[in-house]
Amino acid sequence: MSILEEPIKEPLTVRNYVGGEWVESKRELVDVVNPATCKVIAKVPISTRDEVDAAVEAARRAFPDWRRTPALARARCLFRMKELMEEHFEELSRIQTMEHGKTIDESRGETRRGIENVEVAAGIPSLMMGYNVEDIASGIDEYLIRQPLGVFGIIGPFNFPFMVPLWFAPYAVATGNCVIIKPSSEDPISQMRIAEMAEEAGFPPGVWNIVNGGRTVVSGMLDHPDVVGICFVGSTPVGYEVIYRKCGETGKRVIAQCGAKNFLLVMPDADLEATIATCMTSFYGNTGQRCLSGANLVVAGEGLDESEHNTFYKKVADSFVEAAAKIRVGYGLDQSVQMGPLRDKSKKEKVTGFIENGVKERAKLRLDGRNVKLVGDWPHTCFLNPTVFEDVTPDMTIGKEEIFGPVACLMSAKSLQEAIEMIHSNPYGNAASIFTSSGKWAREFQYNVQCGNIGINIGIVAPMAFFPFSGMKKSFFGDLHGQGQEAIRFFTESKVVIQRWF
Amino acid sequence: MVLAMETPEATASAIIDFVERLEDDSLAFYEKLAERFPMHKAVFLSFVGDVKKNKASVIRTYRETITDALEACFSFKGLNLNDYMIKTNIAENSSFSNALKVAVRLEEEASEFYTDVAEQCKSLLATIPRAFKVVADERNRRKQKLESLLHNVK
Repeated sequence: MSILEEPIKEPLTVRNYVGGEWVESKRELVDVVNPATCKVIAKVPISTRDEVDAAVEAARRAFPDWRRTPALARARCLFRMKELMEEHFEELSRIQTMEHGKTIDESRGETRRGIENVEVAAGIPSLMMGYNVEDIASGIDEYLIRQPLGVFGIIGPFNFPFMVPLWFAPYAVATGNCVIIKPSSEDPISQMRIAEMAEEAGFPPGVWNIVNGGRTVVSGMLDHPDVVGICFVGSTPVGYEVIYRKCGETGKRVIAQCGAKNFLLVMPDADLEATIATCMTSFYGNTGQRCLSGANLVVAGEGLDESEHNTFYKKVADSFVEAAAKIRVGYGLDQSVQMGPLRDKSKKEKVTGFIENGVKERAKLRLDGRNVKLVGDWPHTCFLNPTVFEDVTPDMTIGKEEIFGPVACLMSAKSLQEAIEMIHSNPYGNAASIFTSSGKWAREFQYNVQCGNIGINIGIVAPMAFFPFSGMKKSFFGDLHGQGQEAIRFFTESKVVIQRWF
Repeated sequence: MVLAMETPEATASAIIDFVERLEDDSLAFYEKLAERFPMHKAVFLSFVGDVKKNKASVIRTYRETITDALEACFSFKGLNLNDYMIKTNIAENSSFSNALKVAVRLEEEASEFYTDVAEQCKSLLATIPRAFKVVADERNRRKQKLESLLHNVK
């Protein structure tokens, strides 16, 4: 099948967007590489502390006017931004495929999920309403007002370069705050395009800022006294040790959405055909680089004797391997392709290391993704095919650590209770799913499992924009979550007024 | 028209790509008929308007609901897109009735394509099969109109 036209013809120079101006960084530029073709598609600056300070200053100066801008006027900026995103939907999606590697269907899905957050945040005149009660005492009324706080920093991950900053930024600006977004330096182009749309949509200078770079930018925002809160999506070590701790020390609000090791549990009464199909997207969608990706598939034998359980396990494993082996891997702009490359070579090496580890730990390698077979003639640099391990136990490295790649670990549990204990033995608590026809088992699972996002016959438990993106244990640090009403609360202070007129 | 493609298992994107090309081809075909047969220009131009509207509607639905197809790892199975293709080239000296016959076949195949894909994606959000069904019905109505024109020519 033919390759869709690439929207980036020549390498771009990514710039910072600060105070309504597009500015070149003083520091060096690094390459942004299309992981499928290995071609350089952009150069991105690694900005300095001074450049962060300038952005904070611009945002701080913009804040008083922006917070006084009526909510409806702020919403109109978001409506215009949504329209621009719809207009450029295809271009935005193809950019994601080029900079990240995901398939074009996945990119379009990501674009849609991002736009949905802009749409929800555009309801700010209603979302931001407080509440009141008359006559709490004689002639006295009490009411609550939600007020914006100032400047927020948003630190985006590489795996969803378009969508993740939109879990936060639209709500932050809708509530009257100003933002500084640091996109991942691995794939910063989507955020540059979004900032261009923010400019065109009429956000005043300083409300929406982009500062590209790495640790210096993160530290600059964390240390800055005028940054009142940080939203971070990334790894657990950084999220906990750096972001959460520093925000605690400096009194900043924080949302730190971190790593995961998600369990999917298949019960004997599950609709196997539908379950396996759903598992394919869960384990291999986005090349396994999702914090909601399936990692461990647990085949439970609740109500079965040992022999029946073994037969059921074999049936699930065989179906899973057969489906995974059929996944077509290649460049995401080829519309026949179902899985793209890893984001870069080092990520492929990391995943390969896990596969080697699994073999050493004597898990059974049923499908070896290191045997790369591609649709099309592309360098193998960042590609892996789907991998399936059987007979994995929760204490094996591949069974407990986050791989963040297209590797499925199949496990066995005698009962639902044992499966839940396996889930709880893992330090992460991002998502877990059960596949069953039993409402009783589903409820037991939902009630007991300590994970923030629970799926019942769902492979990717991605909350819609009007629900919070939850998380527990080492997958989330903070109190309130991104998206929906919780984001509104995160980005505002609840001020209570008690009023009497003499 | 050149739309040769076999799809034992097609991604949503591949099907939408086919839709775009099918509708673009139909649009070009009816524009040509409007030019060639001025007596019936209004009819053919109304078809052109419908084609544009339907293409936009299907693409919009796809963009708004692609996440649903992704969650279910949905792909279209067993469709051979060649089966839905017909050559819309008509000779310079082709008669009106011959042109109408080509148009009837085009609508017949297109209607079947949209009916088949609507049937396949019934398990997804209701908006998705509905979008395909609306175009299938529209193509069918257009076919009936063309057949009636053809009948009058005879």
